[in-house]
Amino acid sequence: MVNVTTERIDDVLSADVDGRIDGSNVVQFEEAVRNAIEDSDRAVIMNFEKLVYISSAGLRAILLTAKSLQNRDAKLLLCSLSDRIREVFEISGFDKILPIHPSKAEALDSLDR
Amino acid sequence: MNRHRFGGWKPTRRPAQSLERARFRYARHKSIPGQGIARQDSEESNIKRAANKILVVDDEPDVERLVRQRMRREIRGGQYEFVFAGNGIEALEQLREHQDIDMVLSDINMPEMDGLTLLQQIPSVDPNVRSVVVSAYGDMKNIRTAMNRGAFDFVTKPIDFDDLRITITRTLETIELWRSALESRDKLVVLESELSLANRMQQSILPTSFPETDRYQVFASMEAARDVGGDFYDLLPMEGGRIGLAVADVSGKGIPAAMFMMSSRTLLRGAAIGQSDPSNILREVNQLLCENNDTAMFVTLFLAVFDPATGELIYANGGHNPPVLYRNDGTSSLLPTTDGIALGIFPDISFRENSITLEAGDSAILYSDGVTEAENDEGEQFELDRLYEVFAEAPPGDARTATADVLEAVKVFADGAPQFDDITCLILWRGGGSA
Repeated sequence: MVNVTTERIDDVLSADVDGRIDGSNVVQFEEAVRNAIEDSDRAVIMNFEKLVYISSAGLRAILLTAKSLQNRDAKLLLCSLSDRIREVFEISGFDKILPIHPSKAEALDSLDR
Repeated sequence: MNRHRFGGWKPTRRPAQSLERARFRYARHKSIPGQGIARQDSEESNIKRAANKILVVDDEPDVERLVRQRMRREIRGGQYEFVFAGNGIEALEQLREHQDIDMVLSDINMPEMDGLTLLQQIPSVDPNVRSVVVSAYGDMKNIRTAMNRGAFDFVTKPIDFDDLRITITRTLETIELWRSALESRDKLVVLESELSLANRMQQSILPTSFPETDRYQVFASMEAARDVGGDFYDLLPMEGGRIGLAVADVSGKGIPAAMFMMSSRTLLRGAAIGQSDPSNILREVNQLLCENNDTAMFVTLFLAVFDPATGELIYANGGHNPPVLYRNDGTSSLLPTTDGIALGIFPDISFRENSITLEAGDSAILYSDGVTEAENDEGEQFELDRLYEVFAEAPPGDARTATADVLEAVKVFADGAPQFDDITCLILWRGGGSA
């Protein structure tokens, strides 16, 4: 089960991801995110506070989102990763590809500079 | 109203096999029979649909004229097409002749071959045809026999054509459902056979012979998940008696993962020809995987090169779970990290190398996250701690037994819960021998 709750803070889309992202729901996750993103968004912040598990298929979905945003000079930021999720990002090296922030506020701050 | 447009479809070929034939028929029956009349007046009336073909078997010469007259509206409307036979023998001939017959409406008492015998013969000509028998009113004995021989329904003489229409509609609906069920089954069978083929391909490229000497041993195993995953391991012979050891995990599952895994493994083997620096090999594999990788698939790959003469293990890591090192004194730890990003994501990146020396009785356990993330029914994961625990009593004594021990521990933990990820484990053990 994965739930994506979005809100828009000016031209930034914030997406709270709740549950787990694995092969069984990755398509659903990708769709939810894709449908929420608007062309005018200059950044997407994924809040992983309530994400309990992410498989490699989930990482791929994150990567695809980041790539499609990058293609139009927008950014993907991640925030509030639990230790377990952070470990997955560290092992795979994804923490070096994507900006990860301790909180949503800090992620937003990083954009305002 | 263009009614003539509904009738004209004729098969252009006649596949001999009944399965072929069944498939060929699905194509004709996209819509539910019996809705033809209603549809003619709707916007969909321009869509061509084939008439349902009904074989009427009766030795009364008047029957053909009667049916054509009473069903003229359905015939003209292209809803039904009728063919006729005077007895069972002729009926079987017609069935062979018209392979697109959907249902048979047959009298019981006829010369040469009666309706009850015909019922027994029909499945051998076309198992998917449904039959309705026409019996004398109250002739329960024959009706029972007919039903026992596979008749779908019956109508009684004198034929009430309104009742017959309902019976025909109902029969054709059942046939349609049956066919779509067959079609779904066929698709599923194809998909499943492709998946199991991918599974076998995945297994078949894995090395199955291992160096097991007194000096050092390697053993590995991969248990594929129910859905095809993308794990693999490999052993790469290198110059100077050294050996490359790789464990990898492709993102996602199914056929795409299996394909990406195949190319990753081929590129790894290619890159390992003529060079033995793990970092250079990973760099080259990454570079090649990044070319035209629009699908954003990636592979995590740990690569170590072991020198049996010195015990030196040089390694680099492309985003894979760090191996566990068991020392001969019973202590264990993760191999010191080298960072590194999964392969196929970013071109032009370098990988850091690290090295350690294995002493006699030391071993390194390479694994995929299928081990540490194996789940039991409570949703708990195996995790690294349980991997450490496998050899808490005593360090591994040989690679083969140790691999079996790890897999057994995972199996006991999962306790029958289905696993969604491949479970891969490769163990390198250094012995005290000199040869």
